[in-house]
Amino acid sequence: MKPSSLSSRPSRLGLRPSHFGFRPSFGLRYSAFGFLLLPFLSLSAFASLPDALFQTGVAAYRAADYSVAAAAFRQSVALQPASGALQALGNAEWQQRRTGDAILAWEQALWLDPFNESARQNLRFVRKTAQLEAPELAWYEVISTWLPVSWWAWIAGGSLWLAVAMVLLPGILRRRKATWHQAIAAVALMVFLLSIPALLGVQTRARIGFVLEQDTPLRLTPTLEAQSITRLAPGDPARSVRVRGRYILIRTSRTVGWIEQDQFGLTCPTKGRKAG
Amino acid sequence: MSLMISQPQIYISDAPKATALFDPPIVRPGELAFYRVVFNALEESVEWPGKITAPPQLEVRPGAHGQLLQMTGAGLEPRTSFNHRIRASGLGTFAVPEFVVTVYGKPVTVPAAHLEVVAQPPANVRPPLQLTLELPVANLYVGQAASARIVMPGLPGLAVQGLGAPQLSGQGILVDLGAARQRVEMATRDGRPMPIYTYETTLTPIMTGKLTVFAQGFTAGNQFSGSIVINGATTIPGGPPQYTLLESDPIELNVRPLPTEGGLPGFTGAIGSFAVGPSKLATNVLRVGDPVKLTVSVINRSDAPFARLVAPPPPRVRDWQVFAATDYAPAQPVPPPRSSPFTILGPRAQPEAMQGVVTFNYTLIPLTETARATPPIPFSCFDPKSGNYADLTIPSVPVTVNPGATPADLTALTQPVSTAGQPEQELVLHGLAASRGRTAASLVPPQQQAWFPLMQLAPAAFFFGLWNWDRRRRYLEHHPDILLRRRARRALRRQRRILQHAARAADAPRFAAAAVTAMRVACAPRYPAEPRALVGADILPLLPEPDRSGRPGEVVRRFFTVTDAARFGTAPPNPADLLPLQPDLERVLQQLEEKL
Repeated sequence: MKPSSLSSRPSRLGLRPSHFGFRPSFGLRYSAFGFLLLPFLSLSAFASLPDALFQTGVAAYRAADYSVAAAAFRQSVALQPASGALQALGNAEWQQRRTGDAILAWEQALWLDPFNESARQNLRFVRKTAQLEAPELAWYEVISTWLPVSWWAWIAGGSLWLAVAMVLLPGILRRRKATWHQAIAAVALMVFLLSIPALLGVQTRARIGFVLEQDTPLRLTPTLEAQSITRLAPGDPARSVRVRGRYILIRTSRTVGWIEQDQFGLTCPTKGRKAG
Repeated sequence: MSLMISQPQIYISDAPKATALFDPPIVRPGELAFYRVVFNALEESVEWPGKITAPPQLEVRPGAHGQLLQMTGAGLEPRTSFNHRIRASGLGTFAVPEFVVTVYGKPVTVPAAHLEVVAQPPANVRPPLQLTLELPVANLYVGQAASARIVMPGLPGLAVQGLGAPQLSGQGILVDLGAARQRVEMATRDGRPMPIYTYETTLTPIMTGKLTVFAQGFTAGNQFSGSIVINGATTIPGGPPQYTLLESDPIELNVRPLPTEGGLPGFTGAIGSFAVGPSKLATNVLRVGDPVKLTVSVINRSDAPFARLVAPPPPRVRDWQVFAATDYAPAQPVPPPRSSPFTILGPRAQPEAMQGVVTFNYTLIPLTETARATPPIPFSCFDPKSGNYADLTIPSVPVTVNPGATPADLTALTQPVSTAGQPEQELVLHGLAASRGRTAASLVPPQQQAWFPLMQLAPAAFFFGLWNWDRRRRYLEHHPDILLRRRARRALRRQRRILQHAARAADAPRFAAAAVTAMRVACAPRYPAEPRALVGADILPLLPEPDRSGRPGEVVRRFFTVTDAARFGTAPPNPADLLPLQPDLERVLQQLEEKL
């Protein structure tokens, strides 16, 4: 499976959506868009490129040119993922009535920064408006949403080695083991143990994705002529199970079936890793 | 039931028919013509194809489609029209061939129609009758009401006809049918006087982005629905009307979202230029528990029509109970936009500066005697001209509250107000973030990236090395001879290098001193002793038994003899005699090193 093929859809400018824009070939597409953005970028000589693209998208969004805004936000996110840019991308996609892409972008914004209240409120608003359900999370997945996903790995690693250091270093340094050494070691070990479920939650949440297309058929088998079990609405959550060819086996809250990879976007797109 | 029976019957034809024609049938290249297909069937029953087959010289774009019920005797017959906008690129006669459309589940043949494109059409061929859609502004905010005018020009001879089923078509707009008005008046267009029929309504965009809207309606002859104002001398044609579906050119609206910055409390979607008139309280002297009516007027100061102005929600305050307001919005005349191609002739009512007044009525009940004024009611609007929110808070009115008769009952009223939680926050789409926010190198968490586990090996290796080093250190502390031997080997190697250098340089005194030092450091760990305290007799026992009296023993004795004599004797010997003994010395040192 090519990860780049996950949930890719053409936009008005012939660009592909961001959620999976982390691809080496992105620069080629950027060249087309860069021509349009040249006047804006020249004004932003002192700003970095992702920031300039973000500001360009904001200006286009305020002018109600949502397709250009979405393309600019997408480029900005592809160069450097950022919670605010993903939130803006979700807004631009929502204004273009692309519910699936909007929900995916907001979920990615929360994936990076769970303290982004605007993205959380937008998700609640859209799910209420479009009568969509949120993904059902296990308890350890809920814990993993308390902090940005990248923090848990650092917390686990740091606390583990801190505990090891507090156990080893006093003896090596010929110091008497003090109470505070043991207290720090105990706290660090406790933090490490508590971060393990969160790490597990991050791993499993990485397989959560969202249906992108309207009336996406859920197939019984990964074939073109397969019988359709049901049809999914854009923004419906599901978990990827495994990949076969250009189809991906997903598990929704009600059933299991195959859909085309282009019609499904993972919250955590991975490069060189199969979704399943 | 009797009402249903009294309604005229709708005639559904068993054999629906279709007609097709070009309007006009003769045009110049590039001129607009309408390809119009009419069925005597309900629109819902017609399965109209998405694309019709036409010669490549004809540019075909879908236009309006609609349905009208035509009076035929005692019943009503549906007439459904489908328009297509046609432009021919070259001269000639072009035909849209006949095709089959399914109507009521039956195949109906649409006959072929021909369009003649000539360089100079005959003078009696008139351009197609078209509607004109006029909007005062093309840039709107979502929710901002704008007056829309659908204008149908009159016929030759100062005749004018009505417009049936007028409507605005397009996605993302809301049309206020309750605010529609129609009139006939005289106007000039391109210097020619003509009567025009005008249908006015209010349009409100409900989606952001670029929206396309156009007007459509059927010519209705002398049939007008509802009241109509006729200004000037015009002719209303008699006879049965010709129901022809007309349409206007599409207009593109640029609809922007309301800014999220600068929002004020009490915003209920009011967009325009408004002012709050003086608040009128029914009485300023109240008793606790007596309801009093507060009347507030909101005045429209802009050209835009009053759309649906929603009263601000009643505030929750400690001393008052405020009930929701009722509102009333009268329709007001709207002036034509300045860009209109029609110039109105004759007297007509000038647009007033005040476009309308909305009255809000609140019912307030004082709950305590301490209330000295009615509570201010937060209210705000968005002014599209300035692009900012404007504060329209309804001011408080001074009152005098006297004790009431049933204070105990009012206590119960105050409790829910004071203990009620905040109302559920209304879900809205939040705007864009001010900055890009928290960034990351990738959406993939670190633990799923290859470098992260590898990076964890670094502290593991560090701590393992540290532990190993400490273990070795403790072992050496219990076995100090290992360190002595290691140091002795290092010193021996150093002295051997010195003596080899001295031998090559023929520096006999240095050679002899280095050789003695080398033998001493090689033997010191065996006693253990300070190397400088050892003498030749201490070296010999470490040699194998046969060598002590043999050549190696002799070499040892000679070196110590010479160096002792050089150090303590009065007549120093010549150490140059020792240089030839270097091979023997090397063998002795080799034997000593092997014992370390």
